[in-house]
Amino acid sequence: MTHALPNLRLYLANRTWSVLTPIYILAIMTGITVVITAIIGIATGLPIPDDIRHDMRFNGGAIYCIPGFLISVGALAMNRNFSMALALGSTRRHFWIGTALGFVITSLTLGVGSLVGLGLERLTNHWFIGARAFDVTPLGDGDVVQTFTTTTILALLSLFLGALFGTVFRAFGAVWTTVTAIGLGLLLAGAAALVVASWSEVVTLIGTLGPWLLLNIAAVLALLAAAGSYVVNRLATV
Amino acid sequence: MLGANGVGKTTLMSLISGHTFRTGGQILVDGVDPVEHAAVLQRMCFIHEDQRYNDVLTVGQILSVTPSFYPDWSAETADRVVEAFRLPRGTRSKKLSRGQRSALAITISLASRAAYTFLDEPYLGLDASARSIFYDELLREYAEHPRTIILSTHLIDEAADLMEEALILEDGTVAVQTDVDEARRASFLVRCREADVRALVGEREVLTERRLGAILSATVRGQASAEDHAAADRAHLSIEAATLQEFVAAIGIHSLDSHEAGHDRGHDRGHHRTHDSELTS
Repeated sequence: MTHALPNLRLYLANRTWSVLTPIYILAIMTGITVVITAIIGIATGLPIPDDIRHDMRFNGGAIYCIPGFLISVGALAMNRNFSMALALGSTRRHFWIGTALGFVITSLTLGVGSLVGLGLERLTNHWFIGARAFDVTPLGDGDVVQTFTTTTILALLSLFLGALFGTVFRAFGAVWTTVTAIGLGLLLAGAAALVVASWSEVVTLIGTLGPWLLLNIAAVLALLAAAGSYVVNRLATV
Repeated sequence: MLGANGVGKTTLMSLISGHTFRTGGQILVDGVDPVEHAAVLQRMCFIHEDQRYNDVLTVGQILSVTPSFYPDWSAETADRVVEAFRLPRGTRSKKLSRGQRSALAITISLASRAAYTFLDEPYLGLDASARSIFYDELLREYAEHPRTIILSTHLIDEAADLMEEALILEDGTVAVQTDVDEARRASFLVRCREADVRALVGEREVLTERRLGAILSATVRGQASAEDHAAADRAHLSIEAATLQEFVAAIGIHSLDSHEAGHDRGHDRGHHRTHDSELTS
């Protein structure tokens, strides 16, 4: 662990990039949600009526806003920080562990950020006008544990997916990165086909696990991406 | 570490520091294979000539995180070198000029006080005065904290006074490993009219020849004897010690298959192209 900590510090060297920007993105998403709600309110009056407020429960902004930036963070951390870490005498193993610890910190920060957002949203009775950014169905309809877990795991999945691509690019170049992306796309398509083909069983599973089903799948995917990035990282060269 | 472009200087340093993987042979540092060996790698610092940093990091951020990698990091050295090179701490790494990136690499390498410090053409982009700063700081650091510093360079004569030992690579193999002073003694330069030079050189091997009108400058393998000097005085010939640059240039022309300067170093690396290397401090 001693040798991994410098790599954690390397990941956190620019906290704006590794920690604060994801929080800013959540804040911007909230702001956009409030603005859109206010615009709707021009026609319906503010606070917005209950039927529209109900429809806003399906606002997926908190889900959609996270992956894009974090995938790039994961890819850049594994790509650019890798050559720096090795130049400074780190092993590949400790670089990966330190960076993965950084990913956990970023993800937990986002999880806490979403909880703070949920708390403020409730305290202000949905930002005074009925806007919903965090008290939404994709995050568990206000369930604190589910909101925190969903955001954290989604962030981890995004970071490790980025890490996988960044590491594959570092180790094998652009062609294999494209091959990996196509391969993952085909796997996802295959999984979707499997879901459709076994829809009755899936419905039963959803009934049993509820919203936790997707979270479990995301957690498994994050673990697979993490394992993949670890294995490929051991083969990467500067 | 000397040699023409593409002979494998950077590759050898990358192999020793575990940045790339060897496909054969053996590399030992402190008696162990350095690849993924944390205790050994922690004693190394190898900033590549084309080192890529995380674009979002500023010079200050990079220098704030590097001490955690090195237990013997010298903040004093880092501050002094940054000041000498006038490195802008607030500038992001992607905005640095070629010379500033070299200055940053030199700062980290010297301040790391790593037992094995690699400097891969560290002067790129530096003007003459900045290179002078580098040489001064390198000597100062080495004098105060001796360690193994492996420097690859094409500015041979400029850096010759810094070197104790020269490793000359040719076609991806070690052609010569020699003490620098021995290398300088391994050849000499004779300059005068061609006939006089030929008379003095006799049957000895001429490594290189340069003509300027009727004047011939010949780099001759071996040491000039007292008789040579006496003969030179009589014939008004000039005999000078060949520079390391001239020695290396001569090696680039002649295959060193029989008269290597490393011959009397007690080992035969000068004679055998080798894929094995061992580094100990």
